[in-house]
Amino acid sequence: MNKTILLVDDDMFQLKLYEKLLQNNGYSCRIALSVDEAEAILLNNEIPDLIISDYEMPDKNGFEFRKRLLKNDLLKNVPFLFLTSVNDEHFIQQGLDLKAIDYMAKDIPPARILSKINNLMLAVREHYERSLSEVKGIAEKLNLRNIPKKAPELKNFSISYFNQSYQYQPGGDFIDFIQINDRYTFVILGDVMGKKWGAWFFSFSFLSYIRSAIRLCVFDETFSLPIILHKLNRVIYADEFLSDIFSTLSIVLIDDEEATLCYSGAGDLPVLKYEAGTTEIAAYQSTGILLGFSEKVFYDDINIDLQPGEEMYLISDGMIDFEIDGEKKSDINLFKQKLRDLKLRNEPTEHIVTKLFNKHTSQIDDCSIIIIKRKKDEYQ
Amino acid sequence: MNISKEKKGDILILTIEEKEANLSKSEHFKEMVLSEIAEGETKLIISFEKVEYLDSSFLGALVAILKNLLPLNGTLRITGLNADIKNLFELTRLDKIFILKDNLETALQDFK
Repeated sequence: MNKTILLVDDDMFQLKLYEKLLQNNGYSCRIALSVDEAEAILLNNEIPDLIISDYEMPDKNGFEFRKRLLKNDLLKNVPFLFLTSVNDEHFIQQGLDLKAIDYMAKDIPPARILSKINNLMLAVREHYERSLSEVKGIAEKLNLRNIPKKAPELKNFSISYFNQSYQYQPGGDFIDFIQINDRYTFVILGDVMGKKWGAWFFSFSFLSYIRSAIRLCVFDETFSLPIILHKLNRVIYADEFLSDIFSTLSIVLIDDEEATLCYSGAGDLPVLKYEAGTTEIAAYQSTGILLGFSEKVFYDDINIDLQPGEEMYLISDGMIDFEIDGEKKSDINLFKQKLRDLKLRNEPTEHIVTKLFNKHTSQIDDCSIIIIKRKKDEYQ
Repeated sequence: MNISKEKKGDILILTIEEKEANLSKSEHFKEMVLSEIAEGETKLIISFEKVEYLDSSFLGALVAILKNLLPLNGTLRITGLNADIKNLFELTRLDKIFILKDNLETALQDFK
């Protein structure tokens, strides 16, 4: 996805000139002829990756604009550059004192301005990745993981999974495998509603509750998914800390001795199944609603018959959200079609992610899939 | 975020004037509607007729609004969902939580 730059200048000719320069070099641009226009754009649209502003403009000048941005928690950390023909030393210092990253003169050749912008965007990206890597390192050390390192090895089933973050930011998808003994394994896929860091943070709260609910029920020899979900939902509903945070959940109980699967869900997308010998992808929809919305919810369970060679899929909404030619949409049928094409060509299902997203169809959310396959030979 | 407000009797009609209802707008939207509820608005219609795509952050905000409204015996009708978004509501059982109406007229009739 292109980085977005907001250009602010009262001279339309200059705006168009820099817009063309930046667009030709892979940036998306928004342009504003005044501070008021810029602020209207910022209020209505996503936060840009960089703001470049002129100093001298009617009504509010660039310094006033910068001061107003610094008072806004959402916008104060967006990298800011002055690009102006007012190049008196006093003004340059004043601009830099307003935490602008640079103060550039308009008489600098465009190629050099572009290089400065490229270098700045690279530095911001590297800084972000360093910070992200530090946080991930700390999370690893604390054993805070919302995607496990590997799937359990089972006698009758093979499990593979995939999770891809969006724009290098963690998200609300979480996966877990809770192996009770050689016979029973719970497979978990959840998605905290929201995106990026907020959703990532809350995913650990949900995961802890899910692990506890399953373990406590199993201690009482309860393997019923509706009972587990009912208890889980009640405890989440009672937690004030999570009162405005909701999560979906798909849960599958694998009985590896009987080679059976039981599924239940809470506000999740239907689980899908590829039936050998057919060209159809079947969908199984549970009745449960989102965790935490209501205290009393009826959860059902569905036994899914998986014959040797057949597969079932648990997916998060990022797998069905696409941006095609600039238009975003949720389309489960497109996902099913890609999956069906893959199976008809006898390609491994794990290729689905590269088939889903390409230069025409972009990913717009973190996405996850768990693939449960019944092994062909029961003693394999 | 761009939301237009209209009052018809004691019913507050909010129209999302955006093509995309997403993370960058969800928090502002939630705060704005919750403050309307705090000021006594308990009969709400939220129209998505201009919206082409709704992400999970915005859906989360919508669910939070309804959860805050229900203890006040409030009512919320959602209108103008396009086919893709309506399908998403049905796939994830959000249609069991929200009352969906095809258009403003049928939503208004519900309050009569």
